[in-house]
Amino acid sequence: MRRTLVIALTVLLLVVVTSWLIPAQAQQPAAPPPWKQGQPAELANSPLAPVPQPPAPKAPGEIPVAKIKVPAGFKVELWAHGINNARVMTWGSKGTLFVSSRVAGNVYAVLDKGGTREVKTIAKGLNLPNGVAFRDGTLYVAEIHRITKMVGIEDKLDSPPPMEVVYETLPKDAPHGWKYLAFGPDGKLYFNIGAPCNICLPPDTHANISRINADGTGFEYWAHGVRNSVGFDWHPVTKELYFTTHARDWLGEDVPSDRFDHAPKKGLHFGFPYCHQGDILDPEFGKGRACGEFAPPLIKTGPHVGGNGVMFYTGTMFPTEYKNRVFLTQRGAWNRTEKTGYRVMMVTLRMGDVPKYEVFAEGWLENNQPWGRPVYTQHMKDGSILIADDYAGAIYRVSYQR
Amino acid sequence: MRRLGTLVVLLVLSAAGAEAADVEAGRRKSAPCAACHGADGNATIPGTPSLAGQPTFFTHWQLIKFRDGRRRDAQMSPFAQSLSDEDMADLAAFYAAQPPKARGSAVDPAKVAAGRPLVDTHHCSSCHTPTLTGQQQVPLLAGQDLAYLRKLLGGFRTGTASDLDGTMTMAARPLSAEDVENLAHYLASLTPR
Repeated sequence: MRRTLVIALTVLLLVVVTSWLIPAQAQQPAAPPPWKQGQPAELANSPLAPVPQPPAPKAPGEIPVAKIKVPAGFKVELWAHGINNARVMTWGSKGTLFVSSRVAGNVYAVLDKGGTREVKTIAKGLNLPNGVAFRDGTLYVAEIHRITKMVGIEDKLDSPPPMEVVYETLPKDAPHGWKYLAFGPDGKLYFNIGAPCNICLPPDTHANISRINADGTGFEYWAHGVRNSVGFDWHPVTKELYFTTHARDWLGEDVPSDRFDHAPKKGLHFGFPYCHQGDILDPEFGKGRACGEFAPPLIKTGPHVGGNGVMFYTGTMFPTEYKNRVFLTQRGAWNRTEKTGYRVMMVTLRMGDVPKYEVFAEGWLENNQPWGRPVYTQHMKDGSILIADDYAGAIYRVSYQR
Repeated sequence: MRRLGTLVVLLVLSAAGAEAADVEAGRRKSAPCAACHGADGNATIPGTPSLAGQPTFFTHWQLIKFRDGRRRDAQMSPFAQSLSDEDMADLAAFYAAQPPKARGSAVDPAKVAAGRPLVDTHHCSSCHTPTLTGQQQVPLLAGQDLAYLRKLLGGFRTGTASDLDGTMTMAARPLSAEDVENLAHYLASLTPR
């Protein structure tokens, strides 16, 4: 009897609450654009806004390569240009460099013609195709809403094969919907599903790093509470996953820090949206939570640095201490008066000690204005590295001579 | 000597032309566009947008989208196929340099009044600027053609218009059909700049 009463009261309460909630929701003001979401009222007139992507790549004469500073013994040259919005680079097995873009909607094939580079657009009109990965003659492309493949692409660069769907059970949200895509040491395809907002309690389907088998089966979440990771790599020896994450905006000029994280096993939660940088509870979503519940960052990489590319150096050209160091490419961000990032950092992981974190290449920022934005790195066969710049639409090569 | 000077000037100009957008080249290249968009980018045909005063990034990105098939239009899509990257840069620079004029669309004062507060509740000025004159990749809306505004905004609302990064599709999702109509009337009633 008492139980029936409790149920009846609960139902009544639910009806009342729902009837209040529904009209209230209908009258709620519309959400601001994603970049402005979470902005406190006192900053409503802030001049800070995202850096717009130029619609065209820069001509070689407009790219001041000499301004890029690297350690002694290293040399930077302009390796390729005219690649609108060049982002992730991945090698085919026959020497083709595949390059993605984001808002330009293109995927490119870059061919090294001894001294010059030829650029072919192999796919266009795509939905923010940031992720590209190559395995067994097939190029995989990640757009916001799907992952597709182009079988035997390297033999058909002038008449590319159709993009066959591998996986399309993905959220269609544009904010943080673009993906990084890479094959793990287990042969699975890893990608991010970012939070669809600056700061929000994301649905269970978002704010993670996920993986599938190369044939599109076996979807599973690998890491949770990841606001948006668009760069990761696996340690060449331990085979464990390391990734970067962009932290939320509008919490301050100097907080929260972006992160470099370590996810050695499945199922860890990295804190979003409850805890930022491992030690700051979110003013809204952190209530009743503790940062100790979540995996802390391996390195706080700095506020608003915009960390994208992660690459363990496995080449032999650079000095021996570079072996297994991590290059973190920081595209730079906008939500800070004095801009940070716009550089390539390097991390030396040390057993039982804090990692060493230092600048490798910088100079894309001049008088607080970027002329270029480094975004991802890739190895060349000879051990030199390539750096893609999605703002200038260019690729640089960094080599070393002792 | 004078001839040498002219030659040097020409060489410098041609070198610059390869790298920077050229307003005069854009003016010449815009001849086929004039029939619909007007010689100075101020169109008069209902349903056809004015391009005068549009930010260069905006016009350039839209041309790329028409060429790549991300944005489709029976007239524009075939036209954009023949444009090079340089053509697009020149055209965008030319139209950005033309003073925009209000279209003078016949607007309904009641809808204008109903549309005005929606600009604030839907955060239009966050990207389009408080004067709704646009910036960078974001278009000028003030005084644009009523039928065009209605068509595009309605398209974003129903998810059938393509935007660069999803921002407009998200912004238009909470709008009702009536909101679209009212907003279009309000925006069309404004005078650019």
